[in-house]
Amino acid sequence: METQIGIAAAAVTLPATRRDTRSLFQEEAATFNSEIRARLGIEEVPICNGESASMMALAACQEALRRAELDVAQLDVIIDYTILPQEYLVPAWNMSNKLQHELGAKKAFTVGFSGGGATNFLVALSSATAMLQANENLMSALLVAADVTIPGNRILNPSDPVSVLGDAASAVALKKGVEGSLVIDTELHSEGSNHDVYYIPGGALAHPDDSALYRLELDKERFDKAPKSETLNDMLGALLARAGVEREDVVFALYPNLSCEDQQQFADGTGFRYDQINTHNSKYHGHLQGTDFVINYLSMIQSGTVDKGQYFLAASHGMGFLAGVSLLKM
Amino acid sequence: MNTGIGIVGASYYLPPKRKAVTDIFRDEQIPAEPLAANVDFQRDIGIEAVHVASEESATSLALNASRSVLEKTGIDPGEIDLIIDFTSIPEEHVAPTWSAAGIVQKEIGANRAFATAVNTGGCASYHTTLKVACSLMAAHDRYRTALLLAGDKVPEFNHTYYPITVICDGGSAVILKKGHERQQILSVEVATLGKLHDVWYIPGFHRRDPADKDRRWLHMTANIPKFNQEVIPMNLFMFRKVMRGALSLAGRKQQEVAYYIYPTFSTWDQKAFCQAFMVAPEKVFTDGLQRHGHLQETDMVLDYVDAIDEGHIKEGDLVMLTTNGAGFSWGAALIQH
Repeated sequence: METQIGIAAAAVTLPATRRDTRSLFQEEAATFNSEIRARLGIEEVPICNGESASMMALAACQEALRRAELDVAQLDVIIDYTILPQEYLVPAWNMSNKLQHELGAKKAFTVGFSGGGATNFLVALSSATAMLQANENLMSALLVAADVTIPGNRILNPSDPVSVLGDAASAVALKKGVEGSLVIDTELHSEGSNHDVYYIPGGALAHPDDSALYRLELDKERFDKAPKSETLNDMLGALLARAGVEREDVVFALYPNLSCEDQQQFADGTGFRYDQINTHNSKYHGHLQGTDFVINYLSMIQSGTVDKGQYFLAASHGMGFLAGVSLLKM
Repeated sequence: MNTGIGIVGASYYLPPKRKAVTDIFRDEQIPAEPLAANVDFQRDIGIEAVHVASEESATSLALNASRSVLEKTGIDPGEIDLIIDFTSIPEEHVAPTWSAAGIVQKEIGANRAFATAVNTGGCASYHTTLKVACSLMAAHDRYRTALLLAGDKVPEFNHTYYPITVICDGGSAVILKKGHERQQILSVEVATLGKLHDVWYIPGFHRRDPADKDRRWLHMTANIPKFNQEVIPMNLFMFRKVMRGALSLAGRKQQEVAYYIYPTFSTWDQKAFCQAFMVAPEKVFTDGLQRHGHLQETDMVLDYVDAIDEGHIKEGDLVMLTTNGAGFSWGAALIQH
């Protein structure tokens, strides 16, 4: 872990159309009341209205590269951390290749990762950092995702709602030798028995024709039972010990915008104050899969909450399947 | 370059049921577009029969291969730090939301690991995965043992990937270990041409035609004119690029390569590779073609295992594993035996 790899720039593309949570609940015939509203803390979400996933991803990539002052011709690797279905069926097809072409990143090669909900971003971050560290000839990486919700599938677990899903794309440019937002280390752990806590049961080999099963489902009972915050707290302890960093030296945590309730549970379980997590993005965007990290990172940078030299985290329970914690230094 | 990582063992699983290629051609629609190569697809393919999973799931193919490699190597699942699924066609549930990595983790009891999947590269996904796994293992002390796995089951009546090959169902698994002195991975090189992203694709459920009772939205679909016009002219150039890249990273020369593992697509494809790179046919493992046809990314593992078991690869040999994938991807890896 000697070569310094850091975030050179990031960008998010949000579709222009927005829908309020109440109307989405009505549309999906889910119960909406003050208790659910307070628990979720999501007022509205961005929704695609003609924009394609790769169109949004391309815009996010171009903006991230511009901000990073990174010549696309010099880009070494493009890594896709999308979680929701893409324009064609993955893994036979992957958006990263279309983006390679549309960006003109002729030198780059592409990688994509599957599974783990929002933690897929941390898998991409960790893998990109490792590739830049372990390969002398690789200098830069572009991480990208575009998640567009299946129509009629915005309320996660309508019988007992856990989140409201928005549409968005994001991109993060990583470079060797940058000064800030250094990726120090990442801890990842999966609980194989929860591989199907958060998944789309139909549309592939198991239930190819059943349209009722072609929707993102959460097994709420197993989700609730999974020791999510406890696992993240243990992993955080191991990560900090390895890095020789004290917990009080970590001043902020980037955490997915699943719900206020979920963010509070993470704060309670790890000893962070709620204001060390909350960026108010859940209220206006809902859950955007791995893009949550990027939108919260940009808000954190804009707010000036974290000073040069201070540590911050990115953490996600991956719905009880794939937990991840990354330590970064401004 | 030497990654410091070795292949402890590799294994594969083929479902017992077989189907003759003549029966596959009888049952499946073969497109009428002519081949760029001057060959008769059905007559010259060189594959006699393929294995068919039938009731076995794609995950079970990967799981059987994983269990086999664990037994073969004596590795305790509790030692595994990293599990990566490199399957390149659809599995039980929709990706990228899900992969088989988690269920394999559960079934083998690899409680310490983190499980993920590499979902790009087509048949070169093994190389992409080697690149990722070797990088993670080289960059982090805590990743010492990795299990790479794949399980491919094509939908019924989608065994023909015209104009390339006929597909066999099966699974493969490989154990990598840091500091393993034998079968060392010297270098891995991958390259992608993004403009060819849609030469091969599977439409997906959201693009299905409700009147389609044959589930063609779940079938591999080829843009044959684009394949002929844009893939064929680039293919050997890109093979040369990745093989040279792998040799350069390892500081080795092509003359030092003792043996090649190359995909089992067709007779004419194997012949073209040998001619283009002036490789003697006996230095390339070709026997698998007739036996089982093409197994996507698993070709790289299956043919490697059989080449070792059948005495084609010997102690001290420098072995080149090279493949293309889905029309847009190429990979080369050098293994020092």
